[in-house]
Amino acid sequence: MGGESAYTFKLFGLMFDWTNVISGLIVCVIVFCVLFGLSRKIQMKPKGGQNVLEWMIDFTNGIVRGQMPASKTGQYSFFAFVLFIFIFVANQIGLVFQFGWDGHELVKSPTADPVVTLTLSLVVMSLAHFAGVAEYGFKGYVKSYVKPFALLLPINLFEEFGNFLTLGLRIFGNIYAGELLLKLLASLAFSHGPLTMIVALPLEIIWQGFSVFIGAIQAYVFVTLTTVYISRKVSEE
Amino acid sequence: MFAQSVLAESNGLYIGDMLFYIISFVILMLLVKKFAWKPVVKMMHDRAEKIANDIDSAEESRNEANELAQKRQSELKNSRQEAASIVNDAKQNGETQRAQIVETAQNDAQALKEAAQKDAQQARQDALKGAQNDVANLSIEIATKIIHKELNANDQKALIDSYIEGLGKDES
Repeated sequence: MGGESAYTFKLFGLMFDWTNVISGLIVCVIVFCVLFGLSRKIQMKPKGGQNVLEWMIDFTNGIVRGQMPASKTGQYSFFAFVLFIFIFVANQIGLVFQFGWDGHELVKSPTADPVVTLTLSLVVMSLAHFAGVAEYGFKGYVKSYVKPFALLLPINLFEEFGNFLTLGLRIFGNIYAGELLLKLLASLAFSHGPLTMIVALPLEIIWQGFSVFIGAIQAYVFVTLTTVYISRKVSEE
Repeated sequence: MFAQSVLAESNGLYIGDMLFYIISFVILMLLVKKFAWKPVVKMMHDRAEKIANDIDSAEESRNEANELAQKRQSELKNSRQEAASIVNDAKQNGETQRAQIVETAQNDAQALKEAAQKDAQQARQDALKGAQNDVANLSIEIATKIIHKELNANDQKALIDSYIEGLGKDES
């Protein structure tokens, strides 16, 4: 954790961080394997895995439908679905694996890294702005910044930037704090032999359970805000 | 300053990481869309359609069944009436036929009776005629034998005719 254990490599003149690359890859693989496994043997009469998958799809579809009119949902339900599953898995993975090797951390929650969460929120905001341009044309999009009157332009600009920043940092803060406390509890457990282990074990269990809850909530919040930002761009206020 | 304090928790602002996440997320989206999302959503859509169709067709078949039931009811009524009219017709036909048969039988009987009467009349007539002739001849012979005198056959015959007529009147 932190800059002192940076474990990076350079490729095409770009800096990569092993921790983020490996954990991101693991999250992608897990998400794909789970969804691939659940979507085998699709039937008219759903059974087992298909039910779970359809429940998840219904859940994210419900989030999207709650924010924008049905005529505008289009591909956003799909984006919201993948985003939700991805962030949910990314939030939980650090609770299961915290894997380090040779003084470097290799696997943790990708969402406990601000670069990753801000990347995600950058993707979301870009999509929202792009959707706004696609919906109203560039002129209409620019005009939306001077509504309801021109004086609000700086506030509107600041709001857009604030949306981008808070969307990414909210999830980072929650997940990072959860992992930090888990690590502190773990170091407490190993600090003074068996006694501290006995004390720390229930605390660790409780905090892990709570982090699972927080991870789910944050994934939900992130996806909800994503659809809110997109729907604000594509529909008249 | 703010950015630095945030990034201190990361391992630094690595553009590579950002690109890696964007690209891997896009690839993940493509894969998930191809293998999981499309078939499932298509199936969900198909199912919704099928359910709607089923509801529609159920409504349709219920209406059809109602129609059929009504049709059957009216047909049953019709056939009952028809049956009644057939029975009535048959009764009437029987009646008229009976009357006809009885009438023809009566006619036949009448005709037979008349023919028989006529025959009997004829036979009696013939017999009487035969007897008349015989008696006339016999009486002529008797008379000739008795009086040895040839009577005028015509006078004799008139005599016997009057006699026999009186006999026939007595008999009938």
